[in-house]
Amino acid sequence: MAEVVTALGTNIKQVKKKENTFLVTFKRLIRNKLAVLGLIIIVLQIGMALFAPLITFHDPVKQNLNSSELPVLSAGHWLGTDNYGRDVWSRLVYGSRISLVVGFVAVTLGLIGGVTLGLLGGYYKKLDGVIMRIVDLLFSFPGILLAMLIIAILGTSLVNVAIAISIWSIPSCARIVRGSVLSIKEKEYIMAMKSLGASDFRIMVKHILPNAFAPIIVFATMRMATAILSTASLSYLGLGAQPPTPEWGAMISQGQAFMWSSPHLTIVPGIAIMLTVFAFNIVGDGLRDAIDPNMNVQ
Amino acid sequence: MKKNWLLLFTIITALLLSACGGSNKANNEASGGGKAKIPDTFTYASLTDPVGLSPIMTNDSASSNVTQHVYETLFKRDEKNEIQPLLAESYENPDPNTWIIKLKKGIKFHDGTDFNAEAVKYTFDKLRDPKTAAPRASLLASVDTIKVVDDYTVEIKTKNPYGPFLAALSHSNAAIVSPTADKKQDLMKQPVGTGPFKFVSWTPGDQVVLEANPDYRDGAPALKKLVFKVVPEISTAISMLQAGEVQFIDRIPSEQLSRVEGMKNVTIEKKQGTPEYYLTVNHSKPEFANPEFKKAIASAIDRDAFVAKLKGLGVRSDSIIGPQVFGYKESADKAGTPFDLKKAKELVKKNGFDKRPLKLLTSNKGNYVLMAEVVQAQLEEAGFKVEIETMEWAAFLDTARAGKFDLTFLSWSNVTGDGSEMLYPNFHSANIGNSNFAQYNNPAFDKLVDESRTTTDQAKRLDYLNQANEVMLKDDGAIIMYHDVVTAALNNSYKGLKLYANGTWDLSKVTGK
Repeated sequence: MAEVVTALGTNIKQVKKKENTFLVTFKRLIRNKLAVLGLIIIVLQIGMALFAPLITFHDPVKQNLNSSELPVLSAGHWLGTDNYGRDVWSRLVYGSRISLVVGFVAVTLGLIGGVTLGLLGGYYKKLDGVIMRIVDLLFSFPGILLAMLIIAILGTSLVNVAIAISIWSIPSCARIVRGSVLSIKEKEYIMAMKSLGASDFRIMVKHILPNAFAPIIVFATMRMATAILSTASLSYLGLGAQPPTPEWGAMISQGQAFMWSSPHLTIVPGIAIMLTVFAFNIVGDGLRDAIDPNMNVQ
Repeated sequence: MKKNWLLLFTIITALLLSACGGSNKANNEASGGGKAKIPDTFTYASLTDPVGLSPIMTNDSASSNVTQHVYETLFKRDEKNEIQPLLAESYENPDPNTWIIKLKKGIKFHDGTDFNAEAVKYTFDKLRDPKTAAPRASLLASVDTIKVVDDYTVEIKTKNPYGPFLAALSHSNAAIVSPTADKKQDLMKQPVGTGPFKFVSWTPGDQVVLEANPDYRDGAPALKKLVFKVVPEISTAISMLQAGEVQFIDRIPSEQLSRVEGMKNVTIEKKQGTPEYYLTVNHSKPEFANPEFKKAIASAIDRDAFVAKLKGLGVRSDSIIGPQVFGYKESADKAGTPFDLKKAKELVKKNGFDKRPLKLLTSNKGNYVLMAEVVQAQLEEAGFKVEIETMEWAAFLDTARAGKFDLTFLSWSNVTGDGSEMLYPNFHSANIGNSNFAQYNNPAFDKLVDESRTTTDQAKRLDYLNQANEVMLKDDGAIIMYHDVVTAALNNSYKGLKLYANGTWDLSKVTGK
């Protein structure tokens, strides 16, 4: 009875602490001015993607050969048109949808894979060896090369780009999660849980995983940056988005032949990629600083 | 943190400044180098390395750019596109199957041996020998026997009267090689011909170097040394032209035209050309060979709007035989299916052509990408569903040859400038599985093309070719996107470049100003 009461007591304390942790972290985060800037950019980006039909006035893939290569600040096209007469602003806005969605899907899939492998590897010594060798193998490939290999097998498309990036993200995530698992596994309350008869699964998911949240969230945010950059790179190489999809990397690749006559065709998507990647990196950095390493959620 | 702000600010400012100032800057910096003293070395920038330096074993423009300066042919088209004797002196047709060609005397190969009838027989026998497997053996496909009558007279008998024979003999792959040299060395690496320039060296992937032939029968060229330099990116080549590192480039893409026109140290020459670019369906699949399908596709493509995009570097004509090619009549300009979006939409709806996505094959070089994107957009407006499949040039050719496409773009240089040599390899059913990638199979068309090849009466040939042209246009066998305008950009310190309609050029008469 006493144990149950203690356990209950611990649970209540746990819940309270969790709420505090989020609030505290958030408060610390917004004290970081650069991170705030990053957050604003991300929110604007998401807003742009969500409200795309409301803020654009042209179809991003409709060609109009008679008004091609219009410069910035032309009538009806404030960012000009590309060499097929397509509105650059519309393509930029719809391109943000693609970058965010592909990035999110890739990171989520990567997390699922990485967390699973990391948990299993950290918790079960026997699996650890095998899992870590697989992780090492994936790590040994340069990221883009691994992604290109996967696309060569699966075919060129944005879906396969998401899959390729997620596979490439699994090793880093697995290592981080495994590290967290190893450090928490030996704590007394975990031993206590075990002796109470809690199942391995319950322990992993309800007790170990929440403690690994912090590094996972930081990882996921920074990974969004990498994923967005990789999507653009692969599409630039012709391996991701296929014409006429308005993806930022593909836009740069198409625009580069016009660098001398219409430089905005490469610079505008280039700035978009730069700002988005910068924003996610800054926020990730800020999160890492804001999460107090001494805090221990029990 | 302050550092991060500063960095961010600097980057954004720099980007914004370059965005606004971009095009103006490029034009003002134009008149860089390339004036004053004429360098001893004249450099041409080529997008690719030659495949080889023998006219017998090659069939690509990078190789023929070099071979055309080292070797010569019996006949050659002049700048008015008319066939003139070059190494030949004159010819006779005692009967439709016999050609007696008299050769010019006193010409020597670069290795000192004589140019004579033996050399001609040796070259042509080697070209058409199945064991040689020459890519352009078909140029001499109708030749039966070649006889040396005397040192400077050759008698060639054909199996059937072959109308385009002289045009075939003016093709760069029918150039005469030195038999002595060919028996001794590999002409692919060490060429020996009669031309105005002699071979010096070839560093594969980098450059080919030629030097003036002091004993050239027409007088030694003014240019002492010629370098054919490999520069894979056209925008880099244009920058080198601007800086004076390169004196000559050709094939200016339409999107770079305004940049080159703005350069003060360069003169551009444009000429209506023989190369052509077209869209075709895979005729081996009945659902695509279906006349209503082809009509729907043809009606959906606004070729006028497309050609307008080429900024003057394309000629708009429906005709399969281009305006600069023998066999062309102006009436063929509008003999194809006109652009009619309404009709296209009706045909698509009526036949359910929008049910299945179409695979449009294209290559990743030059205007192929432009054509693919524009046509995809236009076809989709008519209701078709189109996916573009882009490939690198060699892979593209293999895939097209294997028939792995629904629709594809293709092109043909028309080096001979003769309509039979365009229609026969590309669309005659005898060449299905070979050079007829479209797999076009029309017996009425075949018959007319055969007639055009088996008579030497040029007036009759013109008529047959025009009829074949119209038959194919009515049948929507191919949809011509545009006929090329060939271009050359030469440094202002030079003059005397000869640019031909088939896109080839001659540097032998180039001198400083």
